[in-house]
Amino acid sequence: MNNILKTALAVNLIVITVLVFIFPQLMIAPGKLISGHKQLDTDCFACHVPFSGVASERCVTCHKPADIGRLLTTGQPLAKPRTSSPFHQQLNSQDCVACHSDHAGVTRFMQQGRFNHALLQKATSEQCQNCHKPPTDSLHQQIADHCAQCHTQEKWVPTTFNHTQYFSLDGDHNTRCVTCHVRNDYSHYTCYGCHEHSPASIRHEHIEEGISNFDNCVQCHRSGNEHDIRDGDEKRNSEKDDD
Amino acid sequence: MTTSLWHQHILPFGLLLGLLAVATLAGDYLLHQLNLVWVGRYLGIPGTILIIISLIYSLRKRKVITAGNPKSLLTFHEFTAWLGSLLVLIHAGIHFNAILPWLATVAMSVNVVSGLVGKLLLDQSRRHVQGEREDLQLRGFSRFEVEQALFWDAVTLDAMTKWRKVHIPIFIVFVMLALGHIISIFLFWGWV
Repeated sequence: MNNILKTALAVNLIVITVLVFIFPQLMIAPGKLISGHKQLDTDCFACHVPFSGVASERCVTCHKPADIGRLLTTGQPLAKPRTSSPFHQQLNSQDCVACHSDHAGVTRFMQQGRFNHALLQKATSEQCQNCHKPPTDSLHQQIADHCAQCHTQEKWVPTTFNHTQYFSLDGDHNTRCVTCHVRNDYSHYTCYGCHEHSPASIRHEHIEEGISNFDNCVQCHRSGNEHDIRDGDEKRNSEKDDD
Repeated sequence: MTTSLWHQHILPFGLLLGLLAVATLAGDYLLHQLNLVWVGRYLGIPGTILIIISLIYSLRKRKVITAGNPKSLLTFHEFTAWLGSLLVLIHAGIHFNAILPWLATVAMSVNVVSGLVGKLLLDQSRRHVQGEREDLQLRGFSRFEVEQALFWDAVTLDAMTKWRKVHIPIFIVFVMLALGHIISIFLFWGWV
């Protein structure tokens, strides 16, 4: 390697090194900082601890956990809070970077709109409506609370519940949820919520067929088709055997 | 320039370089499609390790180590450096952020090209031009006519020789820039 080339390379490397220290936000930072932290552009160690990343302890020196979601760091009230009630006060642990990143390049790698509900205290994590707007479709308008009966905290869709697996909502049974699920309790049902079925008529029909155990209708009837009866014969036979 | 030099040497060189570009784009596309973009962040680590491993040949060539067949080690150097470069290119291509790592990527890419020039073009092209020269001389062409016929081949050969010479200096630049990038990652990244 000739001396001119060596000198040129050395000068270039020195210039680049100097630029790293003068413009760290351009030379080494993974993208722009969020606008609220613009004043920290050249002060990497305002947030970063050498060799161990961003420390939440440094975040909370400005962002007081008790004020997050309520007040700005300047002490003024938040004009448009993102959630109807603050929830940072109910987190299990203080791990800011589990959800937040200030650099555009890092934010791209975070799955947007994903929140690990395990970070919340149990009681708070069950109060979905504090952060989520209830769906306004006709089904959900009939339901309040108890989202976890059908939805997990991992994903809203798909729901874990398939109604047809238990009872097909066909024919005359395509009705309002509250007809069968009273008191907003979707873990129980009743077949006596409509005019068609009454305890007396059901009892009469089943006793006539020699069936005495008919409390759990969907154990045998999974649709409105009266001929679609599951385990009916086995049940009748087992009752006869018991006799 | 004769068409045979183009077909026999420059085209394979272009194909191998093109394969690197296509594999980089395909890798980047797949990571995005499979929602595995985060994997790309870490491909720089195996890529760098492969490039470091490839330097065994350089140590053997300069007799720092004496074990190993130089020819086999050269093939190993070419393979591991190519694969390491591919991983680093995918890693770099995931998103454009800071300037320093991109300068390192540019230096690495120049290094790959100069390495491929050495592997695919230089020696074979030298032999090719020498063969052509001897053939023309045997057919009774004068020295001037031979030089005239081989003018563009000689110019190409000269350019390739110069290009080959930047392999080591550019590698040093690449190492320095990559080191700057790696140190900054260790300094600011939270590994735990």
